[in-house]
Amino acid sequence: MTDVSKAEIAEPILRLRGIGRRFGGLHAVRDVDLDVAHGERRAILGPNGAGKTTLFNVISGDVGPSSGTIDFLGEDVSVLPPRARAKLGMGRTYQKSRSFLGMTVEDNLYLAVLGTRSGHFRPISLRKRDGEMRDRARELADAVGLGGRFGELVGSLSHGEQRQLEVGMARASNPHLMMLDEPASGLSRGERVALTELLLSLDPAITLILIEHDMDVALRVADRVTMMHDGRVIVEGTPDEIRANQTVHDLYLGRGNHSDV
Amino acid sequence: MTRITPDRVVGIGALVLAVIAPFIVSSYWVGALLTQMLFLGIVAASLIFLSAYGGMISLAQVAVYGIAGFVVGNATTNGNTKGLNLGWNPWWGVIAGIAIAVGVGLLFGALASRSVGIYFLMITLTYSVIANLTFGQVTDVSGFGGISGIPAPGAIGRVEAHQNRLYYVALVAAFLVYLLLRYVARTPFGLTLQGVRDDPIRMASLGYNVNLHRTIAFGFASFVASIGGVLFVWWNGHIDPASIDLGATIDVLVIAVIGGLYRLEGAWVGALFFVIVNNYSQQISFIGPRFHTLIGAIFLLIVLVSPGGLVGLWERALELASGTHKEPSDRTPIEVGPVESHV
Repeated sequence: MTDVSKAEIAEPILRLRGIGRRFGGLHAVRDVDLDVAHGERRAILGPNGAGKTTLFNVISGDVGPSSGTIDFLGEDVSVLPPRARAKLGMGRTYQKSRSFLGMTVEDNLYLAVLGTRSGHFRPISLRKRDGEMRDRARELADAVGLGGRFGELVGSLSHGEQRQLEVGMARASNPHLMMLDEPASGLSRGERVALTELLLSLDPAITLILIEHDMDVALRVADRVTMMHDGRVIVEGTPDEIRANQTVHDLYLGRGNHSDV
Repeated sequence: MTRITPDRVVGIGALVLAVIAPFIVSSYWVGALLTQMLFLGIVAASLIFLSAYGGMISLAQVAVYGIAGFVVGNATTNGNTKGLNLGWNPWWGVIAGIAIAVGVGLLFGALASRSVGIYFLMITLTYSVIANLTFGQVTDVSGFGGISGIPAPGAIGRVEAHQNRLYYVALVAAFLVYLLLRYVARTPFGLTLQGVRDDPIRMASLGYNVNLHRTIAFGFASFVASIGGVLFVWWNGHIDPASIDLGATIDVLVIAVIGGLYRLEGAWVGALFFVIVNNYSQQISFIGPRFHTLIGAIFLLIVLVSPGGLVGLWERALELASGTHKEPSDRTPIEVGPVESHV
């Protein structure tokens, strides 16, 4: 019994082997190996065009890999559609907010809660079941700081509030793995601080993978960092190691673009 | 307690007028215009439902309505016309007509569900042409001349003799369809459909089967359209391939757009407008043969002046009257409040 649970813990929640993705002649991601442990906070850094979002899309199933395998919770999910991966316990957000602007915060969170449950096609409202899901939506709204805007249309929320909503929607299914694509992009300094607090407040049992350009957010939240460049993983380490790494400095200070290094 | 809004006042007023119409207008109006308005409105409502809540503009609604009508015709006629002449009880004909139309609708929907926008429109146009040509050429079930003498159920009686009966049946059907569509939009199925309309990729990553959802929505809209088809064959007593040709397909699209593609009410508003213009333009000798030019010009005018159709004009008039013209949100991002950590 103990052996099994130990083995489970030792087994990474997500294991990528040799992942590549081409778009015509563009090799957006190539030969990526990645192991993410249960409960880990992993940040993926890299300049624009490094392949971070493509890697996310391959993990969530929005695009298929051109090569390689993806194991999630010990199961090969490489060919499963996104909805099946969501049901196994993946939740994600997108770089550009993809909440439903014409619906209320409540309905957005309700849809996020319903997504991994049964009853998508139920053509009648059931007070008990829908009430329970709406209570859950209310909890999520409170947890991401949107309790006061529960009944408002998402289109009338500020950009920062929409980012908070995205995090709430990704959490709605109680995922084992949450993937956030640049949750802090376009936020003001104050909003970034609030978002960082929100990320730090997440249940430690949830594994988190984060793409983030903002080093303050990324290095504060993450306990391991993967650095990508030109579709490849070039460095992996703790935030301290990454801070001290010369390659990272070169890439982020722009020296990587000059060949006189 | 529900609030009194101009929408409700007009809605209830229209319903009351519809109920007392047989006592205030001529039987010609009831039999020829208003009954037709009701079933054309049902078909247009199925189109508006798919468009407004599912983001799918379908040209197959008339095909589905025709399938229901032809099934009823084949099942319930007895010996003296084309088709199978099964001679069933009219109510069994209704069940068979709706069931087969929904089955075909699900098949149509499954094939079209991977497409969006112009491609979806073209595929559904193909369905419309297929249905038209199939009934025109398969003489076992219809053939060019169509099926005549289709009986309404005994309780409704001969339609020519009892125009008010069919009118009230159609009115109840239209009202129930309206309530059903409004209700379904707020159920898990309807909310999910609206999510699929707005962002299918997001819906997939939340765990939804987008194509299956579109398919079932198409099947559901087929159910609604088929009710219109049943009423049509009872009203007309006859159906032939020309009843569901390209012209009829376009007519229903025109009705939906003139009425307003964003609100279900637009279906019956557009249908009333359409049947009145159609009827009275025939009486003007210059315009009569040029009805489609006239309705086309009106269509163009409506699209340019009010993309929300006649219902959209009404909404705009209300906004102007109450001075609550909706401006797009210009809120600036504000600092977020303290984040509670409930986790």
